[in-house]
Amino acid sequence: MATPMKFLIVDDFSTMRRIVRNLLKEIGHADTDEAEDGVEALNKLRNGNYGFVVSDINMPNMNGFQLLAEIKKDDALKHLPVLMVTAEARKEDIVQAAQGGAAGYIVKPFTKATLEDKLANIFKKMGL
Amino acid sequence: MEPVETPTGQSSDQMFQQLGAITRQLHEALKELGYADQLKGSVEQLPDAQSRLSYIARLTGEAADKVLNHVDGAKTEQAFIAERGRLLEGTISRVPGLAKAMPELLQWSHDVVTHAEQTDNRLTEIMLAQDFHDLTGQVIQRVVQLAGTIEEQLLALLLQSAPSGTPGQDKAYVAHALEGPVVNAEGRTDVVTDQKDVDDLLASLGF
Repeated sequence: MATPMKFLIVDDFSTMRRIVRNLLKEIGHADTDEAEDGVEALNKLRNGNYGFVVSDINMPNMNGFQLLAEIKKDDALKHLPVLMVTAEARKEDIVQAAQGGAAGYIVKPFTKATLEDKLANIFKKMGL
Repeated sequence: MEPVETPTGQSSDQMFQQLGAITRQLHEALKELGYADQLKGSVEQLPDAQSRLSYIARLTGEAADKVLNHVDGAKTEQAFIAERGRLLEGTISRVPGLAKAMPELLQWSHDVVTHAEQTDNRLTEIMLAQDFHDLTGQVIQRVVQLAGTIEEQLLALLLQSAPSGTPGQDKAYVAHALEGPVVNAEGRTDVVTDQKDVDDLLASLGF
């Protein structure tokens, strides 16, 4: 049974937000919200009650790396797992995300099984 | 501001003077060769290229949305069919002797459930395939940005080549730090090509 929590999906492309939202629902996580960029995401995170962040990297205004950094330096938010789901495939970007505290990294295009697998790994590490 | 001495011993003022002389020679060469008019024609076509690319991005987005709307509807319908199939299976099982007298009824209702679930999985794959909009959209965005930058720089070059008028200000092209989707990974060792590569890289670093 999926651990109940509210997910924030961050991506500047509405199609991708919709795909991730539908996949999370199929996996058992129907409680989701969306943001178009890091600025909107940070604002929602600071004013809401979220348990998980799924974020793209390449976004206007505030990209995924910047959002990750802001989350990790905020005492109220740093506990949040951040799963990067992105088209950025350079090795230095993957390493940067890991060193920045990202809980996982998925490259697009991806499958439902990959998302499910990564979420399960993260929940296991969190003791959920 | 004090002139700065370069590693070759030249002052920065001298360097700028040399660069200015080279630029003027380039402008004169372009005019004499007749390329200024061709450049002007190319510059005028760039906004058209940008708007065509933006049109493609918009249409592909609308197409992806249409497909996702139909997928949502179809998934709801498949879930309804699967549920009815399960109810039918249960009902047939509960009628004394029916399952034995007509085992095919049980099989058919089971088939309905199986095929409904298979169709639902296909619909999930169709939904995932709409990620083309995101991936192509990012590439189109970068090309539109690049076209805009080239247009600015060519305009500046043309203005400086003009017999009269205020010289334009060249703007340096700042490379985008994020690359977006890898369009051609052939020959590259700095990128991953699939999720397994990502997982292997992270595992090798202890993450």
